[in-house]
Amino acid sequence: MVGEVERVDRLERLTDLVLVLLDTRRPLTLAEIAGSVVGYPEGEQACRQAFERDKRLLREEGIVVSVEPLPGQPGQVGYCIRPDDYYLPDLGLTEDEQAALNLALAGVHLDQGAGQGALLKLGGMERDGPAALAALPSLPQLPTVHQAIRDHAVLAFDYRGRRRVIDPWAVAFRRGWWYLVGHDREVAERRTYRVDRMSTVELAGPPGSATSPEAFDPGALLDEGPWRMGQEEAGVARVLVDAVLASDVEGYLGSEAVVERHPDGSVVVEMEVANVGAFRSFVLGLLDHATVLGPEPLRAAVVDWLAAMVGGWRAGATG
Amino acid sequence: MPRVEVGERLRRLLAMLPWLAARGGASTAELAQRFGISEPEVVSMLELAACCGLPPYTPDQLMELIVSDGWVEARLGPHLSRPRRLTPAEGFTLAASARAILAVPGADPGGALARALAKLDGVLGTRVDVGLDEPPLLELVRQAAGRGQSLRIEYYSASRDEVSTRQVDAWNVFARDGHWYLDGWCHLAGGRRLFRVDRVREARVVDQAEDPHPAPGPSSRDVPETFVPGPETRLVTIETGPGGRWVAESYPTEEVEELPGGRLRVTLGVGGRAWLERLLLRLGPDARVLDPAELRDVGKEAAARLLARYR
Repeated sequence: MVGEVERVDRLERLTDLVLVLLDTRRPLTLAEIAGSVVGYPEGEQACRQAFERDKRLLREEGIVVSVEPLPGQPGQVGYCIRPDDYYLPDLGLTEDEQAALNLALAGVHLDQGAGQGALLKLGGMERDGPAALAALPSLPQLPTVHQAIRDHAVLAFDYRGRRRVIDPWAVAFRRGWWYLVGHDREVAERRTYRVDRMSTVELAGPPGSATSPEAFDPGALLDEGPWRMGQEEAGVARVLVDAVLASDVEGYLGSEAVVERHPDGSVVVEMEVANVGAFRSFVLGLLDHATVLGPEPLRAAVVDWLAAMVGGWRAGATG
Repeated sequence: MPRVEVGERLRRLLAMLPWLAARGGASTAELAQRFGISEPEVVSMLELAACCGLPPYTPDQLMELIVSDGWVEARLGPHLSRPRRLTPAEGFTLAASARAILAVPGADPGGALARALAKLDGVLGTRVDVGLDEPPLLELVRQAAGRGQSLRIEYYSASRDEVSTRQVDAWNVFARDGHWYLDGWCHLAGGRRLFRVDRVREARVVDQAEDPHPAPGPSSRDVPETFVPGPETRLVTIETGPGGRWVAESYPTEEVEELPGGRLRVTLGVGGRAWLERLLLRLGPDARVLDPAELRDVGKEAAARLLARYR
């Protein structure tokens, strides 16, 4: 039972600490804090240790305790919680808007811990919500990517063996993957990145260090399909698709891609290709139901690949 | 782990207080349900918070929380009566979840959720975009599941590369990782199956079969995994070069082993020969099946078959 008493005391001490640090207009010294918050042990060393532990726990809970120099006392620091760091800006949500957000959080499986955290801050939730409607992949990189976009901060990460420094524009979910769209500073071009393939992601500049276009629709860019995401100018491919998969392909590419319809139910579709590897994967995924008709370089890209496979396995064949 | 526990309790207390403050009072039962804790726990946390306050601890500086007969009266000072800021992960999850629901075909673009999201975007300044598939038969299939109806569908199975006609008692429709799925009882297979809605060719509502299988109880709140190894699943081990590392990121794997030169040895469940062919064709000449032995030539044979179409 001793543990029980101690735990309850600590919750009270933490709540008091948050109150005192929110209330103050100037940074408080540790001695001032210990004088205001009940429950810190006697002795400077023990008190300091207990306070540092509390500060760490608050940070884990997302509460930022600012450490600031004390005016007129060189080398001394004080502590406070800045209201801007603590409070949710007033969203002005009506009751039904609030309820709709809560339902959305319950209906989508994404990041369970963060979803629950947001749900609590927005006023909790009745337990008997509807069954989940959608699940999106949760990635550890996403919060940092999102923060960079929100704060207009430069973002850096490793991608395909190179460090990228990006002005991030938007993050979007398409066909099962999360994508970041942004401006690559080194190559000075707009680029699209798969978020799950980014590593060592970090903010590389303060808020406001990045620029992004005012009007920009990431959806329109990403709806184009992976064979459009590249810098290769491979032209417009013509692909014959048989009756078995004709409607699937038409549904996927859109009816405007269909340029011929044959009596046997097969169709010819056109695809503008900027990424030959992605195009090849798309066509081969259709197995015996698709044939590349032209132009010759794209036809050859598929034929050579297949011929190499027939020729037998060798390590490093495609690097 | 008392430290984790106190953090969890602090999080709930700091969420509960602003909600209470906005209303002035609430029943302990509602607080318990909303914030996911037991009623005695609600009472003990609030009694403890009632002792908190600012020096010099005069009554006007204490939080006024009166708990009696299952009801809480609250008059809180200014400091803890406003909700806390969202962390980056929370803000992202909130915006992306709302976007996902709005991306469901048929969502009301002028409804409460859309208005809430517009306000959220204004404050959080986030650009999150979620696009979900819109297969032509989605509406029909969702309606059938909502009404607990039975469907006759013509379905293209990608793992077997064949079209079949089957009767399915529709239970639920959900989106996972970019695709819509119909969850239900398949009378052809004699078991529960998942069907990609975009691979349903034709669908019409039919009379219930003689042995109907309605959804078992209230549907689970969880979205099912879309790849559940079945009796037909075989474990296949593949070696691939650096260009094929996406395999380990894209599919549920049993085992991934790093080899020299950025190469990988991956073991994964394969549901059908056509699925394995598709995987090997995309990986190309740099990949090979190591095990089982009788599947070693699957990629080569598929490549030869497809190549014949060009000769």
